[in-house]
Amino acid sequence: MTLLNVEKLNKSYPSFHLKDVSFSLDTGYIMGFIGSNGAGKTTTLKSIMNLVPKDSGNITVLGKDFTQNEIALKQEIGIMFGGVDYYTKTKIKKITEVVRRFYCNWDDALYHSYIKRFSLDESKKVEELSSGMRVKYSLTLALSHHARLLILDEPTSGLDPVARDNLLELFQEIIEDGEHSILFSTHITSDLEKCADYITYIENGHIVESREKDDLIDAYRVVKGTRDQLSMLAPNLIASKVHAFGFTGLIKVEDLAGNENLVAEPPSLEEIMIYYAKKGGGT
Amino acid sequence: MKNLLYKEFYLAINPLFYLLLLFGALLLIPKWLFFLAPMYFFFIFVPNIFLLGKSQKDIEFSVMLPVRKRDVVKARIVLVVLLELLQIFVAAVFGVIHMEIYSTKNFLMDPNFAFFGFVFMMYAIFNVVFFPMFYKTAYKIGVPTIIANAAAILFAAGVEFAVLAIPAFKVLDAMRNVPAQLWVLAGGIGLFALLNIAAYRISSRRFEHISL
Repeated sequence: MTLLNVEKLNKSYPSFHLKDVSFSLDTGYIMGFIGSNGAGKTTTLKSIMNLVPKDSGNITVLGKDFTQNEIALKQEIGIMFGGVDYYTKTKIKKITEVVRRFYCNWDDALYHSYIKRFSLDESKKVEELSSGMRVKYSLTLALSHHARLLILDEPTSGLDPVARDNLLELFQEIIEDGEHSILFSTHITSDLEKCADYITYIENGHIVESREKDDLIDAYRVVKGTRDQLSMLAPNLIASKVHAFGFTGLIKVEDLAGNENLVAEPPSLEEIMIYYAKKGGGT
Repeated sequence: MKNLLYKEFYLAINPLFYLLLLFGALLLIPKWLFFLAPMYFFFIFVPNIFLLGKSQKDIEFSVMLPVRKRDVVKARIVLVVLLELLQIFVAAVFGVIHMEIYSTKNFLMDPNFAFFGFVFMMYAIFNVVFFPMFYKTAYKIGVPTIIANAAAILFAAGVEFAVLAIPAFKVLDAMRNVPAQLWVLAGGIGLFALLNIAAYRISSRRFEHISL
């Protein structure tokens, strides 16, 4: 079942456009939303949640139009844009006291289990929490109302490697029952290599790829060769870097035909991002 | 809506702010410019609520909750309207005391029924200027405050001038023509309701178009 469907989402700013952004996420999966800084990740996520008014496009959650059913569908979604940076002088207990009232499915026992699991002290003010703790508190709020879909913007940034790993394990745990899905944006691609099922890659406001992670990696190769080989291959390369010994570049597997003598390896997500960004930058 | 109002009263207002409502007691000053007393509400109270909201990122917090953007605007306007009603109530108590204990004539308008009708109108004018201007950006507070204050002050000055200088308005001073004064009070309440609805409609439409 499709939990989230984004169709031809457009949004224009004077110096930036989201162009026909489309992707969908089924229940029971984690989708990593990657792209460089300023590529449009947060704008896309905010447009999905109607925080940024879209120019055109359709957003459906659980098969229902989001704009028409905003209040009901927001009950099913846990949102997190960075860590908590609001009401910083207020104790988190007081903030929870307000937030819990808004959700029909608020689960106090679940809330307290996350508070305990993340070692959060409810009597602390937001400003007294470290950035990692703020992310955890924000996540606790998002998780405590049994949200079916979690939309998380950069949930892992600011966390130490151990906390990141724990968080990724938690993500896996959440989707295990096949009822939940997570869409999270990040530029730490190693996180996605650990836990994402699908990858949606946005560059300069348009979606470059949106498919299963393994398919995505299988569709590309990082090729290495001499400068002479580069001149032959250049039109087919997405982008390349030239160095003293030759070149390294990214190519689609279908464009590699006839060049089997080159060294070709499956790329990491980071390499795909770097070469596409290089192409976009025109360098 | 109930939950958003709870949030407004529980998180968005510092309890000490309520003391500001005691500016209503200024109506006990004899021979004074009584419109000043309810004006402190928008001189101090309103800008402080919005500045506090800005520093605490109240809007960013509110729109994440399962509500529509326009509900956030509605809750804030309802909050201010409720506080204005409370301010008028507090002032009215002192207005009644004033009319009972002082026998000397005030040079300017007395705190009578018509006066409170005009206070309703003054608050209505403040709201209809301030809210739509603020929700154009949802963060710029200075210019909307100055312009809305200026509009309300001009209105109050106009009323004082009319009651003082225009013979037809003289019945609205002291307790000369109570039925006429009650009509002004009713008119004030009506205008207050109408302009607040207009303020909400325009503000929420503008706020919907903002990228947060």
